[in-house]
Amino acid sequence: MKLAGLKSVENAHDESIWAAAWVPATDSRPALLLTGSLDETVRMWRPDELTPVAPASKGHALGVVSVAAHPSGAVAASSSLDSFIRVFDIDSNASIATLEAPPSEVWSMQFDPKGTILAVAGGGSASVKLWDTSSWQLVCSLPVPRPEGARPDKTGSGKFVLSVAWSPDGKKLACGSMDGTIAVFDVARSKFLHHLDGHYMPVRSMVFSPVDPRVLFTACDDTHIHMYDAEGKSLVGAMSGHTSWVLSVDASLDGAAIATGSSDRTVKLWDLSMRTAVQTMTNHSDQVWSVAFRPPGGTGLRVGRLASVSDDKSISLYDYS
Amino acid sequence: MMGGVVYIPVQNSEEEVMVALDHLPRDATDMIDILKAEQAPLHLWLIIAREYFKQGKLDQFRQILEEGSSPEIDEYYADVKYERIAILNALAAYYTYLGKIETKQRDKEEHFISATQYYNRASRIDAHEPYTWIGKGQLYVAKGELQTASESFRIALVEDPNCVPALLGQACVDFNIAEREEHYKKAMDSYRSSLEFYKRALQINPNCPASVRLGIGFCRYKLGQFEKARQAFQRVLQLDPDNVEALVALGVMDLQTNEAHGIKKGMEKMHGAFEIHPYCPMVLNCLANHFFFTGQHFLVEQLTETALAVSSHGLMKAHSYYNLARSYHSKGDFEKALRYYMASVKETSKPQEFVLPYYGLGQVQLKLGDFKSSLLSFEKVLEVHPENCESLKAVGYIYSQLGEIDKAVETFRKATRIDPKDSVAFTELGELLISSDAGAALDAFKTARNLIKKGGQEVPIELMNNMGVLYFEKGEFELAEQTFKEALGDGIWLSFLTGSIDRSAYYSFQYKDFSLFHQLEEDGSCIELPSSKVTTLFNYARLLEQVNDTEKASNMYRLILFKYPDYVDAYLRLTAMAKARNNIQLSIELITDALKVDDKCPNALSMLGDLELKIDDWVKAKDTFRAAKDATDGKDSYATLALGNWNYFAAIRNEKRGPKLEATHLEKAKELYTKVLMQHPSNLYAANGAAIVLAEKGHFDVSKDIFTQVQEAASGSVFVQMPDVWVNLAHVYFAQGHFALAAKMYQNCLRKFYCNTDTHVLQYLARTHYEAEQWQECKKTLLRAIHLAPSNYTLRFDAGVAMQKFSASTLQKTKRTADEVRSTVTELKNAVCIFSQLSAASIYHSHGFDEKKLETHVEYCKHLLDAAKVHCEAAEREEQQNRQRLEVARQVSLAEEARRKAEEQRKFQLEKRKQEDELKQVMQQEEHFERIKEQWKHSSNTAGKRRERSQVEDEEGGDRRRRRGEKAQNDLIAAGLEDSDAEDDLGAHSTAINRKRRAWSESDEDDEPFGDRVNPAETDEETNGIKAKGQTQRKLCCQPSDTKWV
Repeated sequence: MKLAGLKSVENAHDESIWAAAWVPATDSRPALLLTGSLDETVRMWRPDELTPVAPASKGHALGVVSVAAHPSGAVAASSSLDSFIRVFDIDSNASIATLEAPPSEVWSMQFDPKGTILAVAGGGSASVKLWDTSSWQLVCSLPVPRPEGARPDKTGSGKFVLSVAWSPDGKKLACGSMDGTIAVFDVARSKFLHHLDGHYMPVRSMVFSPVDPRVLFTACDDTHIHMYDAEGKSLVGAMSGHTSWVLSVDASLDGAAIATGSSDRTVKLWDLSMRTAVQTMTNHSDQVWSVAFRPPGGTGLRVGRLASVSDDKSISLYDYS
Repeated sequence: MMGGVVYIPVQNSEEEVMVALDHLPRDATDMIDILKAEQAPLHLWLIIAREYFKQGKLDQFRQILEEGSSPEIDEYYADVKYERIAILNALAAYYTYLGKIETKQRDKEEHFISATQYYNRASRIDAHEPYTWIGKGQLYVAKGELQTASESFRIALVEDPNCVPALLGQACVDFNIAEREEHYKKAMDSYRSSLEFYKRALQINPNCPASVRLGIGFCRYKLGQFEKARQAFQRVLQLDPDNVEALVALGVMDLQTNEAHGIKKGMEKMHGAFEIHPYCPMVLNCLANHFFFTGQHFLVEQLTETALAVSSHGLMKAHSYYNLARSYHSKGDFEKALRYYMASVKETSKPQEFVLPYYGLGQVQLKLGDFKSSLLSFEKVLEVHPENCESLKAVGYIYSQLGEIDKAVETFRKATRIDPKDSVAFTELGELLISSDAGAALDAFKTARNLIKKGGQEVPIELMNNMGVLYFEKGEFELAEQTFKEALGDGIWLSFLTGSIDRSAYYSFQYKDFSLFHQLEEDGSCIELPSSKVTTLFNYARLLEQVNDTEKASNMYRLILFKYPDYVDAYLRLTAMAKARNNIQLSIELITDALKVDDKCPNALSMLGDLELKIDDWVKAKDTFRAAKDATDGKDSYATLALGNWNYFAAIRNEKRGPKLEATHLEKAKELYTKVLMQHPSNLYAANGAAIVLAEKGHFDVSKDIFTQVQEAASGSVFVQMPDVWVNLAHVYFAQGHFALAAKMYQNCLRKFYCNTDTHVLQYLARTHYEAEQWQECKKTLLRAIHLAPSNYTLRFDAGVAMQKFSASTLQKTKRTADEVRSTVTELKNAVCIFSQLSAASIYHSHGFDEKKLETHVEYCKHLLDAAKVHCEAAEREEQQNRQRLEVARQVSLAEEARRKAEEQRKFQLEKRKQEDELKQVMQQEEHFERIKEQWKHSSNTAGKRRERSQVEDEEGGDRRRRRGEKAQNDLIAAGLEDSDAEDDLGAHSTAINRKRRAWSESDEDDEPFGDRVNPAETDEETNGIKAKGQTQRKLCCQPSDTKWV
């Protein structure tokens, strides 16, 4: 397996790019890349050419921290540091809803595989908020309990939920927090299942394996990527190689590889059978905040694509094969 | 009875007395009586005396000759010259012989005096008698006066050029002169001359004894004509099969061929010689030498003891002692070896004669630790053989042991120049250069490795290890890895490296867990780790850690601990790794294990103290650091530094912040830093600490100098990472008001050391932008910081304040565009949003902000927002008017254009009318402008709030000035934007200033002092890495298989 650089867009945003997600293809158009930036805008890009689809959409304050696309490819959500979520129509860019659940903050977001729920990491509220995607009402708040025997936190900041990940079957939801704890929920029963141990620093990104719903990959500031059995609640592997925080992780569609983006300015491709980094891309000049494999679908788009975005204001697109 | 009878003629008769030589009377006086009575011719006296001598009856021999040379006889036989001379000469020769064999110096001299006297008497009878001269020559030879001897023989030869004994004497003298001659060419000349004399003697008397040919053999041998020498010796043996000298000579020549066959033949001859004459020291030494090499030390001792007993010759004895010493040396009895080497050395007058014992002596002295004497011994060897590499290496080693590194390096350099194929010399050279010149050291090691490889030998692991470490230090990680791998060779570690062990089956992420190895053993894998490879494995793990392959590194450290549970350094590294991943509990467990191995290990104690600091256990940490310091008698600078840091924190963090206490702590910190600097003037961390204290006291220029120096010194090594000094330098710039420089320095530090991830430094940077009134940069910086550390609510508060401040300052400006005002409104809305959220978030967190304070911020922002809206309207109106004005101007110019065109068309119209028209237009314009002016005046007088705000801003200005003043003594403290106390901004009341002061000093307490950045963990890593290198092995190879741990 390997990555080959296809295209880079310098100054794709006016400021650091913090978020990226692929909007799945629809019958009428191919998949699009969605990016969000400190410049308070969300932009959309055509695949491969990386040309803007429409003018930048505004409406956020203080920087966009997360973007998420509905599996249908019709709707997307973006959130910013002011803790508002804007839900909008992809093709018309018309706002559908504005979500907030004060005093809960908003960090990473993800639609469930069926597209009925939007899960949002609730920051200092120590919970994951679940929004119904038809009514756009808050349907549930899953609180993250303190792990047993955890050291009392003297700073008093409590749990701070940063990241969420849906299992491919949509049954389980994992969330990662600032202190490294990872909680796994049974969504149908709104029940907390267990913690996954091993990280003691912020877990900023997580992804389930698309081929094995038990396996969860986590990216942590401790420079490691962990591989958990989310059901057996055991750590089955750890991969090291980044020299600084691992900010983002995504799994390839075939489940054979994962890609990571790091503060060390690199994108790494990991071969899961060998559990080592097989490739390191060094085209970014600042922290790589997000990496995303393009979902399948669309005409003539069977080939694999990986996108990465960075503090250096650029977007890079790679061919994955 | 051939010649066995002598007839003494009876006086005055024809009769003769028959004397059977076999039956000479025991009492010589009987014989003398007969000889005297019959007045026997003197030659008979001589014959009888000689017969006595032959029979070993020396007294009788002497008696007869003494009688035969008495004055009475002299008188009687006055005309018989020849026989009288012969008798005297015989006596003289006898005394010469006695003198020669006598060991007591006084008796020896007496004998020689007697001999001289007899010869002188002989010469008085006839000064030309050649035999007398020959005798004298022999006497001089015996006395060692070769030149005089030579003169005597020459006189004899003048008298009789064919006198064989004289020829032989002269040959012998020349040979000995040659032996003593130091000048090679002259020596050769003498040997040639000696050879000529021997040859002449042989020509004159072809039947002369075999020993003459012996002389020829020796000369030819010395002249390098070995084949001819061999022929000569063989001829001797044909003539005299029992000639020991010839046998020995041939034996030595055989031995010197250095081939198995030759040595065998040589030994056979030696054995033969020994059978014939068991007391020849030469034979004994040769045999001893042989048995030394065959390892039969018992025989060596016996033979040499015999040789010593029978030999009086210094050089022979030296050889014997040497053999004995060598035997003891190889058996490891260094005391005895030393004694015999000394004895051997004493037998020779100068090292040129026999240099080998000096070499052995040097070795033994070295072994016994007497470096100075050993050095002298080896220097003696070098006097004789200035290019002897083994001695040079030994001398180099001694210099290095004596701490004279420069001399040692020089010596080894010389050794490598002389023998560029000596891998040991290159290895030693490399080790010496490690600390002074890493590049040269690496080159030396490389050469050594290549030489060893070329020689088909296995490269020692120590050498590879050192090379690996040097590559490591240079930052050439790939080469380092290759080298370590090669050094380690095959082993269980390979399966960890290649991942051939199925990880999911064995995976264990706990750094403390050894079940992996137990399971491997259960599954039949053999886990072995030779002790010689531990250091290299540790270094390799260290390298993996450096390149972020922490999993493999952890496996290797654990492998080391599994086999060598006392290897504290591995515990320390595992602890450091756990700590880097913020797993404090595991770190503490690991370090506790390390302390179980050695509860006084200063490194482990320091690490523990560090961890205790991390969990805010201040009191314990101090005790632990104290223990670490005590464990090393205060020599471990790390513990002292840590205590210094502790005191610094205490000074800054003390909640009550008593000025007295603060001063005490600072003073203590300074004292500790200074102490470390006294011990290690180049300790960067201590220098950094000292500079911090200076900066705290306001000596910015001095501290800046120090920081700059530390910064320079810290660059260029992979092990020294000192971002702190960059931050400190930036703090100093900040404190001195050089905001641009400070910002640049913070940014560089972030990029260089933290991959832009450190929110503290971002906060310092934001603070700098804030002071420099770069609001947008300040806000962006804070937003980045929030993005990195979302749970740090202080950052949000700061961002809110920055936006508030930006808005206030924009509104304060006399000129601003509507866009500016609009963005002000946006920012104020954001600020309100942030403050409200903070207020709401306090449900979950005690983030330390007073709710009331937040509310006032919210209110103030809302208040500003109201004001801004008015401004916004005003600004928009103004903008509108500006647009109108522009429109009018445009119309005017259009009209003018039209007019000019009309003019062109109607250029023949009357001038006057044109002027009137123009005048009218101008007046219209003036009126219009007046109107606009009016409007403008009116608009600038709008809201009454305008004044209030400028008042606030004025206060702000004053406040800022004051703050700078305070800063000069107070600080370098960055963090708190929160100090900017919104209450002040809000109110225009008179108590504002007082409150402001209080608020400022309060905010100091939570400030992040930069001392916090003096991170001791790094030093720890460093010591580990370097120590690992120190543990390498060293071999001194000129010792018989002697390995040294240094």
